[in-house]
Amino acid sequence: MLRKSLLSLCLLSLFVGSRTGLEAQGSPDLHVVVNLVQLNVAVTDRKGNYITGLRPKDFSIVEDGITEKVATFAEGNEPAVSLIDPARPRGDAEVKGASAGTTPVTLDSLMAGANVFVLFDTSNYMYRGFVFAQDAIAEFIRSLGTADKIAFYSYSRDLSRAAPLTADRTQVLHAVRSTVAGDEAALYNTLLLTLNDATQYKGRKVVVVFSNGPDNSSVVPPEDVAEFAQSAGVSIYMISTQDAKIEPLSTAVFDRMTAATGGKAYFSKNWRDEKRAFASVRDDLAHLYSLSYYPKANPNSGWRAINVKLIGDHAKGYKIRTRNGYRPQPSRFSSEAQPDRLDLTPPNSYALSAPAGNSK
Amino acid sequence: MKFPLRLSLLVAPVFFCCCLPANAGDTVNSAVTNPSEAVAISSPADEPVSAVAEFPIPGPLRSFLRMAGISQKVAPEEVLPLLSRNVFIRGYEGSRQTEFLILLSRYMVQARELAELAASQGAIIRASNCDDAKPLLRILGYRARPNCGEPGTSLQTADRERAFLTIDSGFPLPELEEALQGGKPFEYAYTSSPVPVLFAAGEWTMASAKNNKEASKDLVDTILTDPNVARLYWALSKLDPETNAFLERSIGIRKLLPYAPVLDFYGSHLCIREGRVVVPGGPAADSAWKDLVGVSPTSPAAFIPRLLAGDKGWMTAYFDVLSRVSKSHQTYFTESKRLRLFYTALRAPNPSGATTGAFRPAPALLLLVTRLQWEPNGEPLVPGNIEVWRDILRQKSDSRVVHEWRKHNPGPTSPDQLVQTMFELSRSTTDDGPPQIYMAISALESRRSPEHRLAPATVRLLAQKYEDFSDQYRIFSEFQELNDASIVLFMDTAEALTNIPNPVRGNALGTLQANVGMWQILARQGQISNEQLNDSWQQVIKPFSKIRSAAQVYDAGRASLGALFRFATGETTVSQDEIIDLLAGPRQTTAEGMRMHHEIAIRIRSVLDGQRLVSLDTLLGLGDALYEKAHGKPLNDFAIHQAGEMREFEMPRPIFTNGERTEWAAGIYNNHHTEVQMRTDLAKVFKSPTASPAQLEEARGQLASFLRDTLVGLNYAYYEPPGAQALHNNPLLVRSHDFAAETVGGIKTVWQAPQLIGQGSPAGGGAHFVGSLADLPYVLSDLEQDFISPESVQALIWKELTPGLLTSAILPRWWDVSQNELHAVALYQRTGEELLTACAKDDQLRIKVMAILSDRVDPQRSEQVEQALSADHASEVLPRMTPADTFYLTAEFQRRYPGETGTWGTATAELQDLSRQHPEQVSWERLSRDFGVPHPVLAQSYGRELLNLGPLPAFAGYSSRFLAESWDSPNLYWARLADETGLSAVALNRLVPQLTRHMVEKIFATDFEDWPALLRAMHETGEDFRNGKIASLAIAFPSAATK
Repeated sequence: MLRKSLLSLCLLSLFVGSRTGLEAQGSPDLHVVVNLVQLNVAVTDRKGNYITGLRPKDFSIVEDGITEKVATFAEGNEPAVSLIDPARPRGDAEVKGASAGTTPVTLDSLMAGANVFVLFDTSNYMYRGFVFAQDAIAEFIRSLGTADKIAFYSYSRDLSRAAPLTADRTQVLHAVRSTVAGDEAALYNTLLLTLNDATQYKGRKVVVVFSNGPDNSSVVPPEDVAEFAQSAGVSIYMISTQDAKIEPLSTAVFDRMTAATGGKAYFSKNWRDEKRAFASVRDDLAHLYSLSYYPKANPNSGWRAINVKLIGDHAKGYKIRTRNGYRPQPSRFSSEAQPDRLDLTPPNSYALSAPAGNSK
Repeated sequence: MKFPLRLSLLVAPVFFCCCLPANAGDTVNSAVTNPSEAVAISSPADEPVSAVAEFPIPGPLRSFLRMAGISQKVAPEEVLPLLSRNVFIRGYEGSRQTEFLILLSRYMVQARELAELAASQGAIIRASNCDDAKPLLRILGYRARPNCGEPGTSLQTADRERAFLTIDSGFPLPELEEALQGGKPFEYAYTSSPVPVLFAAGEWTMASAKNNKEASKDLVDTILTDPNVARLYWALSKLDPETNAFLERSIGIRKLLPYAPVLDFYGSHLCIREGRVVVPGGPAADSAWKDLVGVSPTSPAAFIPRLLAGDKGWMTAYFDVLSRVSKSHQTYFTESKRLRLFYTALRAPNPSGATTGAFRPAPALLLLVTRLQWEPNGEPLVPGNIEVWRDILRQKSDSRVVHEWRKHNPGPTSPDQLVQTMFELSRSTTDDGPPQIYMAISALESRRSPEHRLAPATVRLLAQKYEDFSDQYRIFSEFQELNDASIVLFMDTAEALTNIPNPVRGNALGTLQANVGMWQILARQGQISNEQLNDSWQQVIKPFSKIRSAAQVYDAGRASLGALFRFATGETTVSQDEIIDLLAGPRQTTAEGMRMHHEIAIRIRSVLDGQRLVSLDTLLGLGDALYEKAHGKPLNDFAIHQAGEMREFEMPRPIFTNGERTEWAAGIYNNHHTEVQMRTDLAKVFKSPTASPAQLEEARGQLASFLRDTLVGLNYAYYEPPGAQALHNNPLLVRSHDFAAETVGGIKTVWQAPQLIGQGSPAGGGAHFVGSLADLPYVLSDLEQDFISPESVQALIWKELTPGLLTSAILPRWWDVSQNELHAVALYQRTGEELLTACAKDDQLRIKVMAILSDRVDPQRSEQVEQALSADHASEVLPRMTPADTFYLTAEFQRRYPGETGTWGTATAELQDLSRQHPEQVSWERLSRDFGVPHPVLAQSYGRELLNLGPLPAFAGYSSRFLAESWDSPNLYWARLADETGLSAVALNRLVPQLTRHMVEKIFATDFEDWPALLRAMHETGEDFRNGKIASLAIAFPSAATK
């Protein structure tokens, strides 16, 4: 019984935040849509030092003013721990925190570590710093924990999936050293595709973008991409050069998009700075808390605000960085009335010409 | 166009005449009965072809191709031509070298250094330890850190420029790094890569004027430093070997250099055989060409330079376009008086050069000659009458060429004079001049039966309004049943709507066009009968004829929609789901048909969800409720609930402030339409017990903008390109469609195909369209194309070609196509292959086959095919024939030689049986309609058709679409794939978009006209499908993978 429950939970986690059942890899029958909301949470003190050792009871999660219960909890690269009884209905499960003295349920080991998608700008803008950035990315990849899986993509006008998500560092390093300089830059188009790919996988997901800034050929705006990342629970980190800082538009987007998703933006003055930025991302990944919850009944089908706080005096002064909300999967705007509309059932069809012509 | 046959085939000793003259079919017929003539035609040229020399490119070819921007899949003999092409196309901005050329030149230096390093060790780069690796690392621009030889060793950039070349050229740096980490030896074979040279390398280096001034250079250096040499090399590589050999020997490279641009743009159809130039019109036209050029084609050494020098390239341009016409139509153009008259008109006094730009000028000239429509009596078609065209030619025009023409020309009095006039005006750079008007209306008229010809007044109206409405004419061309009254009604209504004030105008334009777009879909899918096309069309349009208020837009939209679906279903009521089911296709009865239909309906709903559009049911229900309230009836709770649904839409979470948008996206960001919607609160009106009639009317007017969006959304959803992302992730895309051009300046007319605004403008709220819904399949494909990720980089063909390919995949549907038809499409292709195989052993048959193929292929490719077949290498030819080639070959062979029912293979016999049993289903017309592709620019129609054109050259701007539209093959190939894997025709509805997407991912091209790259990508896709490697299709059609 326990084994079956665990499997169910893993399957649920598998599709956390994904928008629709996508056709890419698996069976199309695996369309599981669950409102399990996953949060990557960084906790730091005033000096920016990571705070470790916090427990589930230290966190308070509020969605649209509704206090939520933590369903799973993990710190750093440790496996996630379930804090609810899988047999009980979702949404009102009891928190079974470690302090309660119960034995936490350990999830599939695949939940440990992060799925890291590296997106590298090979457009004309990157020409001068191309090789230094590659060095920094190569070092970043070597330095990630063994529990992490990495995908390496590059972009200019199109996305190139140079190395799919894998634990094999050599394969990824080959991909890094095989990139070719491109032409125009479609950062937001390709970031959207990368996020789409990321949502196919379970566990913690982050996208690390190395971009020099100006986007000159995307057709989707950054706000749509940011919303997608927020709704899918993917944190975005952006590392750029000082050149990008010169362009205020990119600076604004990088700062705001990363903040909204719980990630960070870095503007590096030189290649040493770039390496430091990657090291900072790596540290962040190693210290993130992963929390999830099943939202309680919430009539809001639009944007839902998430507010995570720490409880207790000992946490005063600590800072929290995580995504600030999400939009649930789009409901069928084109559908008939919702089932809970009781006596509001509309007629099956409409006379198309009835009211026409009554205006002067 | 390149055609990568094996090198051995290029130098095969047997030559047949491949640049067949006009009336070649007649020649062939006589050849059948007169063997001596056949022998004369197929005798080998008496001049030897130059021996093939080779040039060693330093280092691995793979690295060189990466740096030179050349596909990794090209054959060795294509390397130097494509290098030359890339150097003069991409290597210079004015006289300044581009980054591309600078890097390529630097790479050559690095490659030579590496070759020198390897030379001392048997052409292998070796490094047995860290010390050994130092010279290598210096050349590569890297250093080992921190301590070489330890597990943590990594390579870091030491010299940025060198390191960039190392990475960009694909040097195996990770392997070197791993070797140094483990203290293992590193070995890398670094040999030169020999590639064939056209003529001898020395001829090119000596011909270069730059080499006289600078140090002596080798061939590649000469190409890199001398764009004239590069362009001539590229140009001559497109000619057949016999012609090339003659030009080299009789004229010489140095003398040809000044003509490199002319040869590049217009030389590919030059052909010299048996000591004479093969001219359009054939030998019968020799005297006319002699009269025009001043030298007889029988003296090629004198004829060719005169032709190339004539009128700054225009004479060769003329020769080129006439060469592209079918042999039968060449006879018309090359009749002795016409040839000179038309050319005199074209050249005009003091013409600007025909080679001054980066692309060929005068696309109208090519369109005029290749797409001229004909009367049954052989005269050019004159829509309306000649008087109408005299009037049209007096219309106001901004074109200088048109102004000049008017000064000295009273106007045409005969069809010939009309064509002559069009030749003269075809040099104009405008997109809406008389030639374009003539071709568009001719295309429209040519599909009409004699009794349904357009009235002269309608022709005049269409011409007068061409500049503002031409993109709308495609619908008249697609549905030839639409009569004068229907056309005039549309034009009058459209014009009336154009003049009403905003914001009513935008909603009215969008709503009308969305309904017309759905009419087009339902009519195309056969859900509106042919007999009712005019009635239904007029009923859809009439409600919009007198719009003045927003409420009237809602009423008109609803009435129009009601009329449309009344004709489609016979019902007077309809729900959104029913509308979606209708758009998804006719009702199906088979399990597979129902499954495909259901899938398409789901995709449509998915787009509507992604756009978060208000349901039609809600909008219609609210309209009803307002009507009832206006008549004093009590409202139910459901109406108030529906009113609330309209407020569910939220703008995406803003990243920018309003001030930032103003600063960073001025003139681009404008969501006034959506913002007005978000302020709409109908529940307030419903709840108000004292709502006045005016308030209720205003409320109904507020529904109009929502109705427009949902109806427009249905059109967008129907044409969703495979792999689309913006449709699903940018919820403002449909709402932002600016029908009235309120948000941007510079849009002259709102009825033409929409322009994409806001691409690459992050603060602009996403790209969106400004303009009409005309050309929606293409513009949506253009918008979404970059979301298809290539398997290979450097796919330079994409931007120009992909939207056309996608359009051909998303517009056609296969609901009423029989299995006989599907099988026939496969049999036509296989019969063509059997014909080619058979003619490898049958000289007489080969002459006939080549005469047919010469209508579709250029002389170089024709000769390559001919040589391969004559050497009994049919198996080498077949993979390089396009499906459209083999399909056309079979059909045309049947037409020309109906009595010859040879037994060339099982497919031939099977096709003959099928034709006897089901002549209508197997007819060219039926298969062309069901498996052809739309040609909105070439044929001015979204109707499906096989045009039988050879690949057309690349032009700039709007005419760049010629290129993709002349590629008819994919749907024929996908149909054959379906037939051979046991799938039904209805499965094509899912297969074709997915396979086309997969094909686009696989394109690895080098230049715009790289047709072999498309063919390769198509074949690779077919193989992947057969092997079950396309995941989504393998799941959907598991049985196909095993076939």
